[in-house]
Amino acid sequence: MHGRVKIKSTAQQQEEKRKEREKKLKIYVAARDACFSKRKEGVCDDEALQLTQQLLSSNPDFATLWNYRREILMHLETVKDKDEVQKIYETELSFLESCLKMNPKSYGSWHHRYWVSARLPQPDWARELSLCDRCLSLDDRNFHCWDYRRMVVKMSGVPVDKELEFTDRLIGSNFSNYSSWHYRSTLLPLLHPQSPEPPSPSHEPSQPSPPHSPQTHSHRVCEEQLLKEYELVQNAFFTDPNDQSAWFYYRWLLGRAEREEMISCVYVSRDEERVAVAFSGPVIAQSVSLLLVLDGQPQKVEWRSVHPRFKHSPVWICDLPPGTISDITSEHNLTVHWTEKYTHRDCALYTGRTESWCRDSATDQELFRSELSVEKTSVLQSELQSCNQLLELEPLNKWCLLTIVLLMRALDPLGYEKETLAHFQTLKEVDSMRSAYYSDLCSKFMIENTILKMEYAEVRVFSITDKNLTTLCHLDQLLLVTHINLSSNQLRRLPPQFAMLQCLEVLEVDNNSIENLEGLYHLPKLEEVLLKNNKISTLADLQPLASCPKLKRLDLRGNPVTQMANIESELAELLPSVTDLLL
Amino acid sequence: MLTTRWSSTTIKSRRRAWKPDHANISRMGTQVKDVIIKPDAPSTLLLDKHADYIAAYGSRKDDYEYTLSEYLRMSGIYWGLTVMDLMGQLPRMNRQEIIDFIKACQHECGGISASIGHDPHLLYTLSAVQILSLYDSVDAIDVDKVVEYVKGLQQEDGSFAGDKWGEIDTRFSFCAVATLALLGKMDKINVDKAVQFVLSCMNFDGGFGCRPGSESHAGQIYCCTGFLTLTGQLHQVNADLLGWWLCERQLSSGGLNGRPEKLPDVCYSWWVLASLKIIGRIHWIDKAKLRTFILACQDEETGGFADRPGDMVDPFHTLFGVAGLSLLGDEQIKPVNPVLCMPEDVLQRIGLQVDLLS
Ligand SMILES: [Zn+2]
Repeated sequence: MHGRVKIKSTAQQQEEKRKEREKKLKIYVAARDACFSKRKEGVCDDEALQLTQQLLSSNPDFATLWNYRREILMHLETVKDKDEVQKIYETELSFLESCLKMNPKSYGSWHHRYWVSARLPQPDWARELSLCDRCLSLDDRNFHCWDYRRMVVKMSGVPVDKELEFTDRLIGSNFSNYSSWHYRSTLLPLLHPQSPEPPSPSHEPSQPSPPHSPQTHSHRVCEEQLLKEYELVQNAFFTDPNDQSAWFYYRWLLGRAEREEMISCVYVSRDEERVAVAFSGPVIAQSVSLLLVLDGQPQKVEWRSVHPRFKHSPVWICDLPPGTISDITSEHNLTVHWTEKYTHRDCALYTGRTESWCRDSATDQELFRSELSVEKTSVLQSELQSCNQLLELEPLNKWCLLTIVLLMRALDPLGYEKETLAHFQTLKEVDSMRSAYYSDLCSKFMIENTILKMEYAEVRVFSITDKNLTTLCHLDQLLLVTHINLSSNQLRRLPPQFAMLQCLEVLEVDNNSIENLEGLYHLPKLEEVLLKNNKISTLADLQPLASCPKLKRLDLRGNPVTQMANIESELAELLPSVTDLLL
Repeated sequence: MLTTRWSSTTIKSRRRAWKPDHANISRMGTQVKDVIIKPDAPSTLLLDKHADYIAAYGSRKDDYEYTLSEYLRMSGIYWGLTVMDLMGQLPRMNRQEIIDFIKACQHECGGISASIGHDPHLLYTLSAVQILSLYDSVDAIDVDKVVEYVKGLQQEDGSFAGDKWGEIDTRFSFCAVATLALLGKMDKINVDKAVQFVLSCMNFDGGFGCRPGSESHAGQIYCCTGFLTLTGQLHQVNADLLGWWLCERQLSSGGLNGRPEKLPDVCYSWWVLASLKIIGRIHWIDKAKLRTFILACQDEETGGFADRPGDMVDPFHTLFGVAGLSLLGDEQIKPVNPVLCMPEDVLQRIGLQVDLLS
């Protein structure tokens, strides 16, 4: 029950109401029982139509009665001639129209109208479209009606550009109409598809893509139309900068296609006789679709994700048969084939080397501008200018602030870092209910920037300290990192994704609020864990560390767990490899 | 190609043209819709009253309103029993009577109807299986036939019809996999195709609608993220984008709405909150403010929760109010599973493991 205000009433009023209800109940039950018994007897007559009509007029959600009506109508189709049937169905449509007027949000009525429209011998789609127009003029957000309209449009072949004009009209009369913007997001890519990208020479053609939705790659809009669309949306948010509909739509317009599915990195370690493969996104790499060839010989290996919690993972590992590559004087050539995607990656392990890898030299373009922009920089630059002008007028407008942050990231993530951080600070203040969202988003951007800097410097050290990090992401991109310093942030956990850091040797996370180490799971090279001043409180919280065979040094000072009785002996039993323990 | 750019003054004049008076913000669009929580609104959880309200609800069988809602009785029973179980009061309900009722509602085709005399439907088939799972007695019905019924409703494109009359909706995709998951029979349908269909309903904002092309809606997002959880495909969700849309459902009152520009509502609060929990982003809303809103929707006299403060209560909003408080961490209530909206201990008992995003 929705929107029914509770009204206080006197005892006498209540008694009168009770009597009235009793009377209504009797009539209702009698009609219902009459319907049920007629149906049981297989009666399909006018009286049954009348009885169901009477009940459905006040209770259109009584689905079984619509079913009964359909049975009756189908029966009438077999006994009446075509003109009579047409007439019967038209009467049904009028009845439905009165039902929809009374209750425009009943699933049952709308579905019955679908059903009738589809069976009508001579459908009148123009009438159906005008019904939608009228209904949407009363409530332009009624999603039942929007969906019905989409069906009518499809059945009657209304051209896509006519529907786009329809949304032009609605948006022109009221910008604040999320439903219209939504509809545009489905129409534009059909009308103005982005020209297909030229096939890149390094990759063979991929498999047919999954079904299209505005979220997927193939449903982007061509650049020329995008520019017109920016103009329209800007009209909307300049008019009412607090209207979220336009901003949501704008963020989508600025978005860009997802990264291509590929193998982004292959790593091989002689010590562990292990291969790790990173993909551009989470996959299931069963041995059937992922093939490892060593020196020309296909290998029988078991691929496993880095943590039992992940069925889909961007990083997969496998152990080679003992002795295959352990001889330091030997040289090996490795190829990983992703047969499902017709792609592969090679990696050579030279004599005298203990490890080797092969990966894309990542640039910011390829890695992280995933949220924004294939557009030319100049266009984005002027978009940023417009938003900055709006911000001058509305300095505390959160939608504008966030959009500016996104534009800055698309243009020059490192160059705008300082301004971005300042904007995030403002966002947390003006929209405090969502401060955790802004903190996480800011953390994500900081991590991206740090990865970029690391790539430019070609090092395997990752460090973000004292930056109010609240969450960790992109850990699949840190597969090769050996040293991590995340000290003095606001992290509460090392999530299972942390297990992707297969090369990690030293981890510094002093001065956070970490209470969970789930991700320190089977890290083969991890030697040092500095966890000073965190919130590890039980021995069980430290359990994951027992799976890291090379762990030698552990700093737990300033954690509640150190207050436990017998902590030293308990730890000696749990983590026998640790020789340097600080409590 | 560059579009025309405006100087700051053109922008100002343009804004004047659209919006005559900037100082007095009279929006061309709709006003921000929200409710105001009165200072005397309930602010503590009235568990005993809610239990009494639900216990008494089923004894109103001769009531007009009660009779009018017969078409959804099976779901009504599920709402009542689940909220009682979450409050540790399940034994107060008449177990045998309910199980007998469900048996009587299973049809020859295997599907289950809302009530006796009504037609079977996926919505009520799921509710019945949920109830029987609470009572640990799914064997009371013909499980194989239920599975056949669900399987028979899957369409060529992977979608599910709600019943033989062919209405297609992602809600029914959820009903189908939730029913099968509870029965441990997920392998009986074409899961890949079912997943493809649900993914084709994903929108520009990361949310989901009823059918391909339909607008995002919190109830639908709940169904689709729940569906993707049960089918092990949650990684296909753009969690950051969807999470942003979901946390933007929170209004100043603390309540959540189901779509932009709509009023807050206790049931939408559940659907948004559960979806956020599923995609590992529940901390993106202000939990304390939401708790205040949900508590304010209680009726101090009768017990039960309404959609908004001051409205009439019903079992539907009572379940989603209590379940929402459970997700927010209220320790007086049993932990609830965000996908199936059932107590976690029930799912543990039947061995159904539900993996959320972390
Ligand atoms: Zn509601």
